Amino acid sequence: MASASSTLDSVVLTFAQTLSSIERGFYRLPGSGIIERYIRSSHQNDPGRTFLEIIILFLVVGTLLQSRTRADRNNGKNFIEFTDKEIDELVDDWVPEPLSKPLSEIEAAELAAVPVVAGPNGPHPILVNTGKPAVNLASFNFTGLASNEHIKQRAIESMRNHGVGSCGPTGFYGTFDVHVKLERDIAEFLGTEGSILCSQGFSTISSVIPAFCKRGDIIVADRGVTLSIQKGMEISRSTIRWYDHNDLKSLEEVLQSVEKERRKRRLPLTRRFIITEGIFERDGTMTDLPKLIELKYKYKYRLILDESFSFGTVGRTGRGLTELYNVHATKIDMLVGSCSIGLSAAGGFCAGTHTVVEHQRINGPAYVFSASMPPLLAVSASEAINVLLDNPSLLSKLQENIRAAHSLLHPSSAVVSKPSNPASPLPRDAPVFDIAKEERLLQEVVEEAMTQGVMITKAKRVRGLELTEARPSLRLAMSSALSKADTEKAINVLIKILKRKLK
Amino acid sequence: MCRVRDFLGKRFHPNAYKHLMPSDGYAPLNSDFDSFFTRRLKRRMEECFAQPVTGVAGRTILILDRYTPDYNQTQITLGTLTRALNVSSYNYLGFAQARGGCADAVEEGIKLYGVTTCGSRLEGGSSDLHTVTENLVAKFLGTEDSLVSSMGFATNSTFIPALVSKGCLVISDELNHASIRFGVRQSGASVRMFRHNNVKSLETLLREVISQGQPKTHRPWKKILLIVEGLFSMEGTMIDLPAIMVLKEKYKFYLFIDEAHSIGGIGQHGRGVADYYGVDPQKIDVLMGTFTKSFGAAGGYLAGKKSIIDRLRVYSYSGPYAEAMPPPVLTQIIASMASIMGVTESIPFSHLTASSFSGDHHPGPISQRYIPAWLPLPPELSSGVEGRERLRRLSFNSYYLHRGLDKLGFITYGHPSSPIVPMLIFSPGKMMMFHRMMKDRETPIVTVVVDYPATPLQTSRVRFCVSASHTKEDIDTILRACDELGDILDLKHGLKKRERWTMDEVSRRAVELVNMPDEERQ
Repeated sequence: MASASSTLDSVVLTFAQTLSSIERGFYRLPGSGIIERYIRSSHQNDPGRTFLEIIILFLVVGTLLQSRTRADRNNGKNFIEFTDKEIDELVDDWVPEPLSKPLSEIEAAELAAVPVVAGPNGPHPILVNTGKPAVNLASFNFTGLASNEHIKQRAIESMRNHGVGSCGPTGFYGTFDVHVKLERDIAEFLGTEGSILCSQGFSTISSVIPAFCKRGDIIVADRGVTLSIQKGMEISRSTIRWYDHNDLKSLEEVLQSVEKERRKRRLPLTRRFIITEGIFERDGTMTDLPKLIELKYKYKYRLILDESFSFGTVGRTGRGLTELYNVHATKIDMLVGSCSIGLSAAGGFCAGTHTVVEHQRINGPAYVFSASMPPLLAVSASEAINVLLDNPSLLSKLQENIRAAHSLLHPSSAVVSKPSNPASPLPRDAPVFDIAKEERLLQEVVEEAMTQGVMITKAKRVRGLELTEARPSLRLAMSSALSKADTEKAINVLIKILKRKLK
Repeated sequence: MCRVRDFLGKRFHPNAYKHLMPSDGYAPLNSDFDSFFTRRLKRRMEECFAQPVTGVAGRTILILDRYTPDYNQTQITLGTLTRALNVSSYNYLGFAQARGGCADAVEEGIKLYGVTTCGSRLEGGSSDLHTVTENLVAKFLGTEDSLVSSMGFATNSTFIPALVSKGCLVISDELNHASIRFGVRQSGASVRMFRHNNVKSLETLLREVISQGQPKTHRPWKKILLIVEGLFSMEGTMIDLPAIMVLKEKYKFYLFIDEAHSIGGIGQHGRGVADYYGVDPQKIDVLMGTFTKSFGAAGGYLAGKKSIIDRLRVYSYSGPYAEAMPPPVLTQIIASMASIMGVTESIPFSHLTASSFSGDHHPGPISQRYIPAWLPLPPELSSGVEGRERLRRLSFNSYYLHRGLDKLGFITYGHPSSPIVPMLIFSPGKMMMFHRMMKDRETPIVTVVVDYPATPLQTSRVRFCVSASHTKEDIDTILRACDELGDILDLKHGLKKRERWTMDEVSRRAVELVNMPDEERQ
């Protein structure tokens, strides 16, 4: 017992000596006073506190030591070690697919049959394909601005002042006075606080969406929105919910279910957007804007409305759906339109409040990283707005042609779109539902029409990219540059071909 | 620190922070953290950015004077104009002109064709002018076929998804342009990055990805596409094309070169990096570039084998959905490109055979049939003399400014032959001062200063873009200004004091500087 206690004593003594020598060594270190003070003040006679500190220390060290390599590398099972020789063999063995398959015969034939206009485009262009003039029901020249001599003259003047290219992105000396003027003109035309330009119509909306919608935000979108919207949503990484094409009842149900889910799971309030089109690129149907706005306010969503096909084509002076339904444009949070379709110039715009516009000046990818549009095109667009304002007859003539086309088309097929719709595709009651077959059939119609002097086109799309495949269709674009008689004649030619082909 | 400020601000000045707080059941449009940089840094340097201008973006440019009463919160335009020396626009070959042969051609073009072709390429917006331009671009680049797209950004963002898809791998330089990233993200392909312009890092990565195959399944990749830029817009670095071609041979990947900045400005014939290194352009799978820069136009092109280009025409988003390139832009491209190449009535037979055997991928003048008959080109342009002159002048200016800055003691990045000359300033505060002092000089000079998000915050820089329209005196003016400001702002960290040259020495020995072999530079 005694010997045991003496052994214990000596152990304790050695331990105490070691401790004191460590202590002495510790105090000799520079800065040890600070550490001591820190430990003392954190310990405060409470071992629990020190224990906590030690855990934190371990966590910190653990985090620092954690591998920083990418998840797909050196990460356990998935990475296989190879010797250099094995890698060389694998490299030799690897046979990549060709970069792109050549087009199939049908595709190549279709590409060759794409109408190419010789000289200026307009209501009666000469086609390279046939060498003869044709009545143009394919190009987007809704209000006939393409052949406006006054706009041409202004474009030439601008070219003599500014040159052609802007030679710079918007942030770095690419913002010309004429761009600022066009932005102001559009904002005044629509009645919004401001607007921002983008140098391509297609890229506008796919840049606007990711500028505002981020991961975790909620987007409620129409199932039939055009590809550029779908791509924009994809890029944004937001949570997307869909509602049935142009069905506001379905929209309301989705909005309710989103809200219910949020309540149930006590999710935080995130940005919520409704994204849809004014006139759908896919089938030409029109959104019921007043009802949509009512829903947006009721459920507190922001509305991103793509008016690419309605801006410059509907309303008394072409202001789009807002004018048609007499809704103030400020009720739409982000109103996106195209200057290339509606104003026969180039580019697109997003109109909204100052906050919306200024936010995009640093966050809109296509705005920040792209050269601004050529100044002469901005001048053309500004001038086109003036032409529209001064000549409401352009719009009424367009509507007249649309009505004429509709009344002729009615007996031959079931038309679903509303009459005041300029980009009206032609739904058919064909007995076939096979996409490839229908496409082929329509292509025959298009080519036949072309030989008979009517330029029309299928609604071309890239298959396999869109959320739901659109039924193949023809797309007729009316124009106020065509006389009513010409329009009717061309439609009659088309109906004859359709009747024969779709027997 | 700023989070604290936001936190307090939201409580004590709710009006100023309205846009960052939930109101009336709406979440704020941008979160305080996301917009942190915009509000706290960029807003305070607002005067450096988005300066409205007018006139031609040529050798000089007219800036709309503005001032700020409240530390850059708002900018008020005064309505007066100042003419400034322009080293900012991407006007490498000086084709941004409102007078001269190209401008006359464009005027003729607008009179004939108007300003739009009404619609997308596949849906009634194609014009014979598109066909002419595409043939000419293909001829210019030495490829089988090419296509044009109405926007440079969209050339990458809408065509890359048609090249690669799920199961493919894109290898991308870490400093690739946003449009490339945008396109790759849309395509659904996997992406791996390698260190900027580092061929070794690329090879290591290639060995890894080919041997490992797709993540988890280890199936071999369907194909690997390497996307690099010919000349990087923020760095001025040029790719090492010969080394990449060797790797391409060995590792069988496909090569996509974005020549947005190098086309027109680089190479003996102005045909970009392939021309510079003497690589056969047919061996590069896809050549992409823009017309915004050297050609003074807008939009972009893709060039390569006919089978690839045809597929892109049909399968990209742009073909069916996006508007076609407008005629004035097409005319500008045709006129400027033809004047770089030169046009002859008929190509002598001997020339044809000589070029096809000598390995010269970019034969001289093109036949008249490549440009429309109505297009007037004055003799000095059509002979190609002016085009060659412009190329030589651009090359002189690039080398001179680059090496001049080096000798004065500044730190510059990039290849000396690149018309982009980035000069390091490091601190965003100095950057703003530099910009303002250059603008307020007796001969005002407008410069592009860049920092985050285009570059890392700590390497803020000024980026000069020289042009063929600058004279040696212009470059002297710029160098002199930099020299003076460099002393005031303490920017010369490249060379020790005794190794530096004085400004007068630089100006006197300009030719010697320019002719210095590339290797001599560290």
